[in-house]
Amino acid sequence: MLITCPYCGPRDVIEFTYQGDGNRERPEPASQNFEAWNAYVYDRLNPAGDHNEIWQHSGGCRSHLRVVRNTLTHEISSVAFARGDHGPRRKMEGKS
Amino acid sequence: MSPRRIETGNRIDRLKTIRFTFDGAAYTGHAGDTLASALLANGVTLFGRSFKYHRPRGLLSAGVEEPNALVTVLRGDVREPNIAATMVEIHDGLVAISQNRFPSLSWDINAVNQLGGKILSAGFYYKTFMGPVIGPFKGTRFWMFCEHFIRRAAGLGRAGSAADPARYERMNAFCDVLVVGSGPAGLMAAKAAADQGARVILAELDPRFGGSANWSDETIDGLPSADWARRAVKQLEGHDNVRLLPRTTVWGYYDNNTLAALERVSDHKENPGKGEPLHRYWAIRAGSVVLATGAFERPLVFPGNDRPGVMLAHAAERYANEFGVLPGDKVALFTNNDSAYRSALALKKAGAQIVAIADVRPELSGDVRKLAEETEAEILTGHAVIATEGGRALTGLKLQRFDMANGGLTGDARSIHADCLLMSGGWSPTIHLASQAGARAEWSPARQAFLPPQPTQKWIGAGAFTGSFSTAEAIAEGRAAGLAAAGGSSTPTALPSVEAAPGDPDPAPVFEIRAKGKSFVDFQHDVTAEDVRLAHREGFVSVEHLKRYTTLGMATDQGKSSNVPGLSIMAEALGKPIPEVGTTRFRPPFAPVSIGSLAAERFGDLKPERLTPMHDWHVDNGATMYSAGLWYRPMIYGLSGETIEQAYVREARATRETAGIVDVSTLGKIAIQGPDAAEFLDRVYTNMFSTLAVGKARYGLMLREDGFAFDDGTTWRLGEQDFLMTTTTANAGKVMQHLEYFLDVIWPELKVHVTSVTDQWAGAAIGGPKARQILAASVTGTAVDNVTLPFMGIVRGEISGVPVMICRLSFSGEMAFEVYCGAGYGTHVWETLVAAGKPFGLVTYGLEALGTMRIEKGHVTGAEIDGRTTARDLHLDWMLSKKKPFIGSAMMDREGLVSSDRLELVGLMALDNRPLNGGAHIVEELDEANPHGSIGHITACCYSPALGKHIALALVKGGKARHGTRAHVSDPLRNRFGPVEIVSNHFYDPDGSRMHG
Amino acid sequence: MVERLSPLEPDFHPGSHGNFEHGVDVILTETRPGSIVQLAAWPGEEKKLIAAIRAVTGLALPDGAGGGISSGGKSVFGFAPGKFTVADDAEGLAEAFAKAVGPAIGTVTDLSHGRTVIRIAGPKAEWVLAKFFAIDFALPAFPVGSGRSTAHHDVFAQIHRSGTDQFDIHVFRSFARSFWKALCHASEEVGYEVQ
Repeated sequence: MLITCPYCGPRDVIEFTYQGDGNRERPEPASQNFEAWNAYVYDRLNPAGDHNEIWQHSGGCRSHLRVVRNTLTHEISSVAFARGDHGPRRKMEGKS
Repeated sequence: MSPRRIETGNRIDRLKTIRFTFDGAAYTGHAGDTLASALLANGVTLFGRSFKYHRPRGLLSAGVEEPNALVTVLRGDVREPNIAATMVEIHDGLVAISQNRFPSLSWDINAVNQLGGKILSAGFYYKTFMGPVIGPFKGTRFWMFCEHFIRRAAGLGRAGSAADPARYERMNAFCDVLVVGSGPAGLMAAKAAADQGARVILAELDPRFGGSANWSDETIDGLPSADWARRAVKQLEGHDNVRLLPRTTVWGYYDNNTLAALERVSDHKENPGKGEPLHRYWAIRAGSVVLATGAFERPLVFPGNDRPGVMLAHAAERYANEFGVLPGDKVALFTNNDSAYRSALALKKAGAQIVAIADVRPELSGDVRKLAEETEAEILTGHAVIATEGGRALTGLKLQRFDMANGGLTGDARSIHADCLLMSGGWSPTIHLASQAGARAEWSPARQAFLPPQPTQKWIGAGAFTGSFSTAEAIAEGRAAGLAAAGGSSTPTALPSVEAAPGDPDPAPVFEIRAKGKSFVDFQHDVTAEDVRLAHREGFVSVEHLKRYTTLGMATDQGKSSNVPGLSIMAEALGKPIPEVGTTRFRPPFAPVSIGSLAAERFGDLKPERLTPMHDWHVDNGATMYSAGLWYRPMIYGLSGETIEQAYVREARATRETAGIVDVSTLGKIAIQGPDAAEFLDRVYTNMFSTLAVGKARYGLMLREDGFAFDDGTTWRLGEQDFLMTTTTANAGKVMQHLEYFLDVIWPELKVHVTSVTDQWAGAAIGGPKARQILAASVTGTAVDNVTLPFMGIVRGEISGVPVMICRLSFSGEMAFEVYCGAGYGTHVWETLVAAGKPFGLVTYGLEALGTMRIEKGHVTGAEIDGRTTARDLHLDWMLSKKKPFIGSAMMDREGLVSSDRLELVGLMALDNRPLNGGAHIVEELDEANPHGSIGHITACCYSPALGKHIALALVKGGKARHGTRAHVSDPLRNRFGPVEIVSNHFYDPDGSRMHG
Repeated sequence: MVERLSPLEPDFHPGSHGNFEHGVDVILTETRPGSIVQLAAWPGEEKKLIAAIRAVTGLALPDGAGGGISSGGKSVFGFAPGKFTVADDAEGLAEAFAKAVGPAIGTVTDLSHGRTVIRIAGPKAEWVLAKFFAIDFALPAFPVGSGRSTAHHDVFAQIHRSGTDQFDIHVFRSFARSFWKALCHASEEVGYEVQ
C-alpha cells in the first residue's frame, strides 16, 4: 500500500503509523460530558468501504495526515495534512 | 560424451565441463546445464520419491513448475531443501541430494506405501489419527504423538539447523514499466517501452532471456528464434534506461503496482564475488506492468502418468533444443491438442525415434497430419494411453481406443515399447500475478483454460499469458503492451515476421482417461483423480474445501500443473461446468522464496542498534552491556571475580556512601519550543508547567486520553519559550508521537514545535554525598552550591572547556546532578568527571545499581507504569492539578479507576531473607501446594544494600491499607514461596533529606 | 576547544574495502559539519524564514517541497512542511539563526551534535542507497540539491542530494555507527573506499 504524503510524495506504508479513526471528535478540554468523552476515547467506526483515518508519516516528514481509505480495496481517495494546508506540496511523480 | 547428449542445444557451452555430485555420485555437465538437464544427459531417470506413496519419480518439466524432481542443495553445513532440479544451474563443486527416500533413492523402504494405496487416500490422516475420545491420547494428542513418525515418512526435504552464512539483500526499485517474462512478448514489450524513453525493468526467472524463443525451433525476422532473442537482448543492453534482471522470479503483485521479486544472484556460482548476496529481494514500484509470463503445459491424467520417463511434451523439446539432451530414444506422444506435434518433430530432428502418436481426437487437421507424418510415427487418432510400464524408467505403455464424446475405452489394449512418453493436456496461461493483483480469472471454453481477468491494477498482458499461444501473436501483443505501458501509441515499423509450425490453439476438452490404476493429478502431493472423486463423495463440493481436504495444489509448486485438471475432474463429479466450480485465487508467492531474502539485512550484526556517546568508554572499562530496546547500556562494571549481584551491590553502596556516576544519555529528550510551549505542557502534563521559572526543572506526569498513566520525567525550562522535556528511555518515541499528534490533529492553533534532541545531548548523572564536591572540582563558570544550584535548579558552565548544562535532580535519592553536554564531547566530560571523582571514591554504576537505588526510593518506571495503572495507583495523585484540564483528566475519575480494590504500589520485604522474583504473585494464604487468590504481583526486585534485605516493588490490591501486614510470594515455576511484609514503597530516606541536602 | 568525537570512530577504516580489485564504485565518508540546525516556521511565515536563511547563509532556497541547495560548505534543504535543515562547515550557526529568526517567525533547534552526516558518492551510490531506502533516487525524481525524509527500519534519515552522484545522509547520532556499518556492508559488493 502506498500513501501519497502531500509533502513527500507516494511512500510505502511501512513509513507510516496508523493513528486512529479520523471521525472522532475530541470534546472541549474542560467538558464534563462523560458520554462524549467515552465516545471519543473508545468508539471507533469500522466501515466496509471508505473510512476517514489519521496516519502519521512517522518515517518521513512526520506530518499527520487525514486519509480517506477504502477498507475493502485499500484504495486511497484523498490525503491532506491534518493541520490544514501547509506549505508547498510535491507534484505527483511519474506518469499517470 | 554423455549417453544422451546430442549435438543441438544452444544454451550449453560444450567447451566448459562442470563437475558436481548428486547423491554422492560424481557427474559432469556443461556450462548452461541445469541439474535436471545434466543428470538427464548422464542417463539419470530417477530424481525423487513421491510425497505419500514414495513412488519413483522423474522429470515432468524443464522449468519452475517442476513437481517431482525436488532436491536439497548443500553448501557446507547449510541445506537448502525442496529446490526444483530444473531451476538449479550446475557449477563446479555443486552438491545436491535427493529427498524423501530411505535409505537410498533407488531402494526406498517406504515404497511399500504404494501397496497400501487405498488406505492412504484423501483425508487419511484426518480420519485415522483423530484418536480416542478419552485417555492419554484423546483427540488431537494422538495426532501429535503420531505426527513425528508421519512427518518423517511423508514429506519433502529436511530443513537444516546450521546458521546460513550467506548474504541476503533487499533492493528497492522504481520504474515506469516492469516487464515480467522475456519470451518474444516480453522482449518486444521491453524494447517498445525502452524506445519510448521509459525506465524499464525486464525480469526473467531463467538465467537466459528469450523464453520459448530459446527452444521453439521457429524463425523470427529471418533468424532462428534463439538468435533473434540474443539480438533483442543485445539491443536492450544498449539502453541505459533498461535494467535486465535474469534469474529473477517476480513472485508477488501487491497494491499500488508494488511487486516483489527474488533474484538468485549467486546460487549458480561456485565462489560468489566479494560482498555479493546469494539472493536479492526486489521490491519494485512500477508505473505499469507488462505481464508476459507465458503458459504452463498441462499433464494428462491417466494411470501411470507419473512414471519416470513420462514428461510434458514441450519439456522434452526444451531439453533437446535448449540443452542438447535427448530424454529418450524411443519416444511416444500422447496429446489432446496440436502444439505437441511440434515437440515430437523436434525430438525426431534431434535423433529420437518417434514410435507412436496417440491423440484423443478422432481426426487431425491437414496441417497437423502433415507434421505427424514428418515424425514417421504410427499415428493413432482416437486413442488414449491407459497404462505405463517400467520401474525406475519407462519401458512401455498400453493404448486403447478412446471415445472423446463419452470417455469410453473400447477394443483390445495394445502395448508399445518406449523409453519416453510425451504428454500434452493443453496449456494454462500463467495468470498468477494477475490473480494476485485482484481480479478473478475467466474460463475460456475454447482454450479450456482460465484466462487473465480484466486488470484491476495498471498491467497489460501479452502473449501466451493472454491465451494467444502463437509467437506471431506474442510479438504483436508484446509490442502493443510495451508501447501502451510506456504511454506511447504509434506502431510505425513492421512487426518481425515469424515462421512457425501450424496448429490450432484449442485442445480437446479431455483431461482424464479413466482406467484401472493410479492417475495422478497433483504429482507433488500425490493426489489422484480417485482422491478428488472421493472428496466429492464425502461431501466436499466447494473448490476451496476440495483443495484443503485432498491438499491438491498445496505443495511447493502450488498446483501449477494440477489446478485445472483437478478442477475439471471435480466439475465432472459435480455435473457442473468448470466455471461454476470456480478456481481458487492465487496468492503470493508465485514460486518458493528464501526466508533469508525476506529477513535480508535485518538480522545478525546488521540489526540497528543505538549507542550512547560514551559507549566505547563503558566497553573499554569493563562494563557488561545490556540491550534495552535498541539501546545498549552498561548493566554493571564488574570487577574480576564479581557476580552481577556483588557488582551492583558494590556500585549502589559506594554511590550512597561516597558518589557514583551513570550514563543517562538514553533518556528521551524533546525540545518543546514556541510561544505556546508552556500552555502546551500544561495540557499534556497533569501538573502545571506555565508557572515554572526559567532555569528550573519540574517532575511531570502524563496520562493517556483514557486516564491511565503514560510516562513521567523532568522538564527543564531553558527559556521563556524553550523547554527541554525528558522522557523514559523506553517511551521516548511514543511520547514524541503523542505530542505530535496533539499538535497536528487536536490543537493545530498552538504555536509549538517539538523536536527529538535525544541524540544532541550526552547525559551523566552524578550522585552521592560527595557529588557536589566532585562537580565543584570539575566545573568552571558557575558555582554549584545550594544557593546557585538548589534542588531542581539549572546552571550553565564548562567542564574542561566544554559547555555544560547542569540540573540538580535525583533518581537515586542522593544529592545528585545531571550534567548534559553536546554528544560529541560526552566522553571527554565523562572522563573528566570520573578523574575528578577518583580521589573521592567515585564509582561508575550501571543499570542494575540504578534500578536498585530507584527501588529503594520507590520511584516508578515502565514496570509500574504498565498501561494499567493510574496516577492514584502509583501514589502520584498529588501531581493531578485541579486548576486545569489536561490529557486524561476527563476520564481518570471513572468509577473503575478510583475503586478501592485496585492494584496499588507498595513495597515488599522478604522475611525469609531469600531473593524475590519479578512477576511473582502475592497471595494471602499459606498454601504452597495450591497457591490461589492472587492479590497482586512483583514489578521489580533487588537486594537492597541500604536495607540489607531482599526487597521489591509490587502492585497489590488495597495497597496502603495493607502496610505492615504479611503475605506470601508465590512463584511456582521458579519454586519460590515465602513470607513477605507489605510496606511503603519508600524504603529509603522517605522524607528526601539526602537529596535535598 | 576540545575536539568532538565521531560516533563512527572504531568502525571508520580509511582505505579500500570489499570488492575493490576492479575499482571502487562508491566513496564513503563522514562530512562532520561544524553546525547542523533545524529551522521551523509557523504556518504562513515560511517566506520570512527562507529570507532569514538567505540572510545568514547566502543560500537561496528553491521553491517546492524538499527543495534545497548547497554551496561553499553550507547546505540547506526542506524536510517537512515549513521545516528545514541547515548545515555549515563552520560552528556557530545556531547562534546566528537565534538572532535572525524571531519567535514570530519560528524556532531554531541546534542539532550539531545530534545528527551525523554520512556522505556516499560515486557511480553506484544510488544502487547502494536503494538497498536501504524505499525512495526513488533517480535524478528526475530526486534532483540535485533537494532533500528527502525517509527511514531505514528504525533509523530516521534526511537525505540531501549534494551532487549528481553524491548524497549526504543525516542520521541520529546514536544510530550512526550501526547505519555506517550497514552501509559499508552493503557497499562491499561494488567496492568502496572510506575517506
